[in-house]
Amino acid sequence: MNDSKGNNPEDKHLINRVLHGDTRAFGIIIKNTENLVAQIVFKMVPTVEDRKDLAQDIYLKTFHNLEGFKFESKLSTWIARIAYNTCLSWIEKKKLILPGNLHDDENNDLPLKNVYQHSFQDSESILSQKELSGILRKEIDDLPVIYKTLITLFHHESMSYEELSQVTGLPEGTVKSSLFRARRMLKEKLLSKYQKEAL
Amino acid sequence: MNIHPSEKEIQQFAIDKSDCDTVAIVHIESCAKCLAEVSNYQLLFTGIGQQNKPAFDFDLSALVIPQLPSAKTRLSPDQFISGFLVFFISCFVGVPVVLFNKYILNMFSDISPFFIYAIIGSATVIVIYKTLSLYKKYQKQMQLLNFN
Repeated sequence: MNDSKGNNPEDKHLINRVLHGDTRAFGIIIKNTENLVAQIVFKMVPTVEDRKDLAQDIYLKTFHNLEGFKFESKLSTWIARIAYNTCLSWIEKKKLILPGNLHDDENNDLPLKNVYQHSFQDSESILSQKELSGILRKEIDDLPVIYKTLITLFHHESMSYEELSQVTGLPEGTVKSSLFRARRMLKEKLLSKYQKEAL
Repeated sequence: MNIHPSEKEIQQFAIDKSDCDTVAIVHIESCAKCLAEVSNYQLLFTGIGQQNKPAFDFDLSALVIPQLPSAKTRLSPDQFISGFLVFFISCFVGVPVVLFNKYILNMFSDISPFFIYAIIGSATVIVIYKTLSLYKKYQKQMQLLNFN
């Protein structure tokens, strides 16, 4: 792969240092990527006490597999994939019934309403920005795991469809359609909420 | 002009209109309903972007680094096998040389020159082949690391 994939010389240098036994370089890798890992862990793992163990597990796996990193993606994307798979294994092991199945699509979709009946802007005066933010956070948390993870990584971490496909192991087309449904579901939920508030 | 674009196109317009179909762009820009819908999505995306980023409330590096094996104890299986082979071959060659050094030259005195040349020739071919493949592998790895 080439630099257009995002492999930067600093990552290569850091990996080289880690492979030569410099654990401080691994500390820098952790610092550079822990926010992204936190996004994934917080979205996929609801129990606070398990997050700490999982975060450690993710980076220990990263360390032990670093030698096999082929530079086919950004280092951060590769670590995000490890984080996603680790959380997925944890969910499967715990047999968690989360709000919505991981890859469930249509069943969780709200029925489409006339989207032109109401807009968020109309209700801006009713709810403050803080309240809006709180409602949005809650609605994102209530989305199925795969949807909230994709939405967060795309809109909050500015990851591309290709990177999301690498992280989740899903085909790019599936990522796009899942994101489309997630955005629509979120918008519908918010509109419904706003309409209730406006009444 | 009366047919509204699909919701997918509306979303795409809200994310990045340069990726939209021209017909859809023309329609959306002149349609109040579609613009309102685009505006909804844009507000939604802005809201998501403005959400606080979660962060671990513990020092992850401080937890992970002490659990990493030190460089000295970290010996990969490949390194272990290579080390063992080097030791084994050294013993295999070294011990007879030490024990029978007086007779070693006599071992070769009765061999015909043809066999000597054949042995030297095949050894040279093997060494050249291995050197070339090693060099190719090295170049490939350097290219991968972009150190060139």
